[in-house]
Amino acid sequence: MTQTISAREETVINKTKSQFPQYIKETRIDSERRVTITFDEDHLQEIASWMRDDLGFDHLIGIAGVDYPTQKKIECLYLVASFSKPEFQDIILTLKAELARDNPSISSITSIWQSAHFHEREAFEMFGIKFEGHPDLRKLLTLDNWEGPPPMLKDIKFPEMGQR
Amino acid sequence: MTTTTQPPLKETSQSTMDVSVGPQHPGSGHVRLLMRVDGDYIVSIDPDIGYVHRGCEKIAEYRNYVSNIPHLERPCIIDAIHLNWAYVLPVEKLQGVTVPPRGKYIATIAAEMNRIMSHLYWLAINAGVFSGHTTIFMWAFGDRDLFIELAEWLTGARLTYSFLPPGGPRRDLPFGFEQKLTKLLDYFEKRLIEYDRVFFSNPLVVARAKGIGVLKKEDAIKLGVTGPVLRASGVEYDVRKVEPYGAYSDLDFRIPTFNAGDSYARFIVRLEEMKQSINIIRQALSKMPKGSIARKAPLVAPEGEAIGRVESSRGEITVMIIGDNSDKPYRVKIMNGSFRNLIALPYLIRNVHIADMPIIYGSLDYWPVEADR
Repeated sequence: MTQTISAREETVINKTKSQFPQYIKETRIDSERRVTITFDEDHLQEIASWMRDDLGFDHLIGIAGVDYPTQKKIECLYLVASFSKPEFQDIILTLKAELARDNPSISSITSIWQSAHFHEREAFEMFGIKFEGHPDLRKLLTLDNWEGPPPMLKDIKFPEMGQR
Repeated sequence: MTTTTQPPLKETSQSTMDVSVGPQHPGSGHVRLLMRVDGDYIVSIDPDIGYVHRGCEKIAEYRNYVSNIPHLERPCIIDAIHLNWAYVLPVEKLQGVTVPPRGKYIATIAAEMNRIMSHLYWLAINAGVFSGHTTIFMWAFGDRDLFIELAEWLTGARLTYSFLPPGGPRRDLPFGFEQKLTKLLDYFEKRLIEYDRVFFSNPLVVARAKGIGVLKKEDAIKLGVTGPVLRASGVEYDVRKVEPYGAYSDLDFRIPTFNAGDSYARFIVRLEEMKQSINIIRQALSKMPKGSIARKAPLVAPEGEAIGRVESSRGEITVMIIGDNSDKPYRVKIMNGSFRNLIALPYLIRNVHIADMPIIYGSLDYWPVEADR
């Protein structure tokens, strides 16, 4: 992929790094307009509220869980973007937290981005991630009588759907 | 029962009653709204979704990149091109495939036709039927069928097109398509004036929708709503402008934005969007480049993450795909307009009359199947 990376992606990364030098584990510019920042999961609240107030990433697009059974981790990805800050309008910033697979838990960000309410409920149900401080963490999409483990985990297989 | 967006229930009140609306298809798909009512007022609602959840994201991990297209566009069949495109953009990005210019133009035309069809469906059901307006239901459905016939001619299917595999569209424009589409657009442009007279300027519709369900600009930003709902609250944000895909960077169009933020503004914003879609299709037809429409794309995608997004009729669809060097994605995550706008339901439907609920619900153009995936 040949892409020209403009200075804005660098700005996002540099500002975050200088604000939280000890909490940022890894930064990456995936491509033009796409930035991924891996952070220490214990400091989500601080980073997220700073992102919203100072950098202008005012809304959450979604929360995606990704299961890596071989590495014994579940990644929790927060995709955030900005409506109000013109220079960051087209950037999608991915905040990545790496959680332990046996007991994934992270603090809730419903107080920072209100729209996280339903996204967190979905990730809780599909990946079993516990969002501490969520006001109403219960199942959202699956049937009421579904009692199995979180269905999106990789070791939950549905052989009738084919090979994976 | 309470969500963050809801006020605490009045515990002293003895007069509240819980009413369940749905899940038997309250108008646009299976969703249950648990309403707490006090006399004629709705105190709070709790949307109970998931009745049409099919596990699209899980199924996608079992299918190869091309066979994922038909089932991933099913969640919103009236807007299939956009769901299809949103999935294909990150796949192309991972594989490093670029679509030739003509392919981009054809995809853009198909997408804008789809936007008109989807808005007409909304106008017929979510605006027309929900406000008790039978005439606009018949008119909008009738005119939508003319677009569907052309879409069938172009893609081979009336609704579920699977038109855009990685690399470019499946078919070129059929011979004579351009003339037929131009004729239809001329007709439809005149029809929109009549729609305006019979529905959008109708005093009864205005009285029922104006000032109802107001979503202020700062609340719209805070809630992270998207699409026409966001633009009706005065935020000028459209993926077609901020991150142009397809042929949108070559085309000149405007983003209709209204400041009122009420149900009526959400009605009007879709009317204006249809006018802009006509404008976009006309420009795309006149600027249509020559050449091939598609390139060959590999069946395998390398390791890595890619995020693509499009502006669908219901707002931004963002798809994240993680590849693992095989012909099947490791993870597909779909974040769509309906699911993002769901937060606006409990926020707007409170302290309103029960009779206003269908209008607010309809103005959000919430599509349960898309939200449930």
